[in-house]
Amino acid sequence: MLSEFKKISDYPLLETPATIRLGFYKKGALQYISHLDLQRTFQRILSRAELPLWYTQGFNPHPKLVFGLPLPIGCESVCEMADIKLTRDMPAEDILARLHKATVADLDFFACYPADRKFADIDGALYEYNIECDVDDEMLEKIDRVLSNSPLTVLKHTKSGDKEVDIFPLIKSFKLEKLEGGLKITALLAAGSNQNLSSEYLLEALRKRLIFLREEENYSIKRLSIHDAKGKIFK
Amino acid sequence: MYDSSLLRSVQKPGRYSGGEYGQIIKDKEKVKARFAFCFPDSYEIGMSNLGMRILYGVLNQSDDVWCERVFAPWQDMTAKLREKNILLTAHESGDNVRDFDFLGFTLQYEMCYTNILNVLELSGIPLKAEDRGEEFPIVIGGGPCAVNPEPIAEFFDLFNIGEGEEMLPEIVALYIKMKESGATKKEFLLEAARTISGVYVPSLYDVEYNEDGTIKSYKPNAEGVPTSVKKRIVADLDTMYFPEAVVMPYLETVQDRIMLEVFRGCIRGCRFCQAGMIYRPVREKSPETLLRQAKCIYEATGYEEISLTSLSISDYTKLPELTDGLIEWTNEKKVNLSLPSLRIDSFTKELMEKVASVRASSITFAPEAGTQRLRDVINKNVTEEDLMRSASIAFGSGKEQVKLYFMNGLPTETDEDIEGIAKLAKATIEQFYATPGHSRRAPGVTVSVSCFVPKPFTPFQWEAQDTVDELVRKQQYLRTCITDRKIKYHHHDARVSHIEAVLALGDRRLSKALLLAHERGFGFDAWDEYFDAEAWMKVFADSGIDTAFYANRRRADDEVLPWDIIDVGVTKEFLLREKKKAYEEKTTPSCREQCSGCGANCLGGKDTCCPNSKK
Repeated sequence: MLSEFKKISDYPLLETPATIRLGFYKKGALQYISHLDLQRTFQRILSRAELPLWYTQGFNPHPKLVFGLPLPIGCESVCEMADIKLTRDMPAEDILARLHKATVADLDFFACYPADRKFADIDGALYEYNIECDVDDEMLEKIDRVLSNSPLTVLKHTKSGDKEVDIFPLIKSFKLEKLEGGLKITALLAAGSNQNLSSEYLLEALRKRLIFLREEENYSIKRLSIHDAKGKIFK
Repeated sequence: MYDSSLLRSVQKPGRYSGGEYGQIIKDKEKVKARFAFCFPDSYEIGMSNLGMRILYGVLNQSDDVWCERVFAPWQDMTAKLREKNILLTAHESGDNVRDFDFLGFTLQYEMCYTNILNVLELSGIPLKAEDRGEEFPIVIGGGPCAVNPEPIAEFFDLFNIGEGEEMLPEIVALYIKMKESGATKKEFLLEAARTISGVYVPSLYDVEYNEDGTIKSYKPNAEGVPTSVKKRIVADLDTMYFPEAVVMPYLETVQDRIMLEVFRGCIRGCRFCQAGMIYRPVREKSPETLLRQAKCIYEATGYEEISLTSLSISDYTKLPELTDGLIEWTNEKKVNLSLPSLRIDSFTKELMEKVASVRASSITFAPEAGTQRLRDVINKNVTEEDLMRSASIAFGSGKEQVKLYFMNGLPTETDEDIEGIAKLAKATIEQFYATPGHSRRAPGVTVSVSCFVPKPFTPFQWEAQDTVDELVRKQQYLRTCITDRKIKYHHHDARVSHIEAVLALGDRRLSKALLLAHERGFGFDAWDEYFDAEAWMKVFADSGIDTAFYANRRRADDEVLPWDIIDVGVTKEFLLREKKKAYEEKTTPSCREQCSGCGANCLGGKDTCCPNSKK
């Protein structure tokens, strides 16, 4: 299938395997695929791309694969990241060309570079919400008021059951815009291993307090960028 | 695709969102026929089906045809589609199924029949063939249950009897030709029945019944229509179409691996087994073909496991050649090999080591019956020594869990045979301790017992199934026989098996009950959580159907059977001979040892072991 590419064995072996960070989109139909399913899908993409993967040396060898920040179901993204480990020295464009051939457009790769920052540095993520609804200035004001006041409690679904959580401290900043036939919210939410707010909860908080957003409403959520504690873009 | 609000409101939206790697997208303006291929169960089950993978690829080979996938929406989605009046759409294009030229169903098991009616209804297609005008798709069915399609005949325009790789493209090509010349649906169906071998159009046959409820006759009501429809096979599996690229599901499916079909048919002839009869004659692929196809499909999919698929893999004549050839590259690529359906009389240490996926601690064997007498009745042709030897090999190489499959309610079964199941399980535990080098962990044997369902085109097709009460009594009796706590015991729900028997052995009069079941909201009856035995029995009672007439009645040898309209190659004379031998507790050798004259050689086929097979 990949006969048009340079042979893998023609790339020089590395003394120590290199950790490579891949940037990818997750859009369209792919937004409905869970994180667990994405992991399995990745393994197969990597295998189809025939990349020289480094395998863990244990009883049950598997390729090294680490994702930056899990994306919830129903959220698109233009800034996903995953780290893999390769045993050979390959130029980024060759890696990307092989991956491109092995995947679909909604899950395509746009960047490939040595991973020098740890995913633990991730502190926030910027989301864009586009909601099909009628909003007037009065409603816009109400939304602003809801998101600007603490406590902003929602029912969070966790493994140990549902519990009331104040998400106000987890919304770092937000912006509201009235669009033709809809509303756009851009919000920077806490993300990462320390504190994390799943994108859906912001809507949940509004849904609970305001009637403009109902379950039948069509909307989209897109993760635009991932940030570190200083608010800078994390790559 | 459906609206995001709809997709967000259901479990596992990935079942409906499509966009898989390998799906085939065509320009709908440029194709001449659109085919919606439906697996009438959940996405995860349907995407595991090899037949669907093959036929999807076969149909899409033609530039004139676009075949798309359809699955039964899960119950939550079904409720939403009904509530919001949204029509069911095909997976690839998101276009309404109703606007396709064909809607094809693969019929893998009887308990999915209610899902077929749901798919029709959700698509906005009238359920009965006679109520569908020219504007609706032609509804066609195929697969193993099509060998007795009578219970669902009223809902279908046409059935494919036998293998579809060649027949299905012929049907679609004829349709395109006739559509272009302005023919009606009725004219097309008649022409297909007349000219394409393997095509059964139920509306072209009238059924008459006797006063006692049995069938009097089947008569064609149009000229030139065959009096019985002969099964189609593909003669040469080496040159047969093979899907070198497949659609890769994102969700975890039941068969999430490469399924490499090694051969079709089975040389064994177990007397309860429908697959062993209806897929005859046995035809093999060559190892060269298989090795080429395996490599190719691995590169196109990236799957980490290859399963060698067939009814009884150890009967493949070139198995060592095949496994050795595969291991040459699978080990390096960290691809596991799996060999399901290993017979206990052919299980060897060497074979097990080749396929040893390190983590699997359990291994499954299917003795089917508890005593040698009953195993002879069913022609299983394995012995207790075979089982002990196989178990010993498994235990000797570190496994400590064995699963044993049995059946209750087989013809001539007595309580002694049931006790035999418990004894065999106990002996397996003892074998563990007697095996040098066994694991230090405690052994475990899981006994899993299903209920015998008489199936068309088997030597047991005339048999009466045990009543539900009797099956339950036998299940309970077996429980009292199992005293060792290392033996775990599961059994199937006898009430499901009863309904399965009714639907498997039924005739056209059952469509009434299926319609009523549909009206009452039935669906996903193959799933424990949705199957409701009492509701089913009430449906039958309310539609005036005596389930015992179909399931628990012994049929006379000369009774006209609903599936006599179909000719699967295996003759009635052979099946009667086998039935007689069963009662004499006599076994029949495998096809390879000695031909038993089943009749399937009349269908031809390359690389069979049939004498005088039409080459």
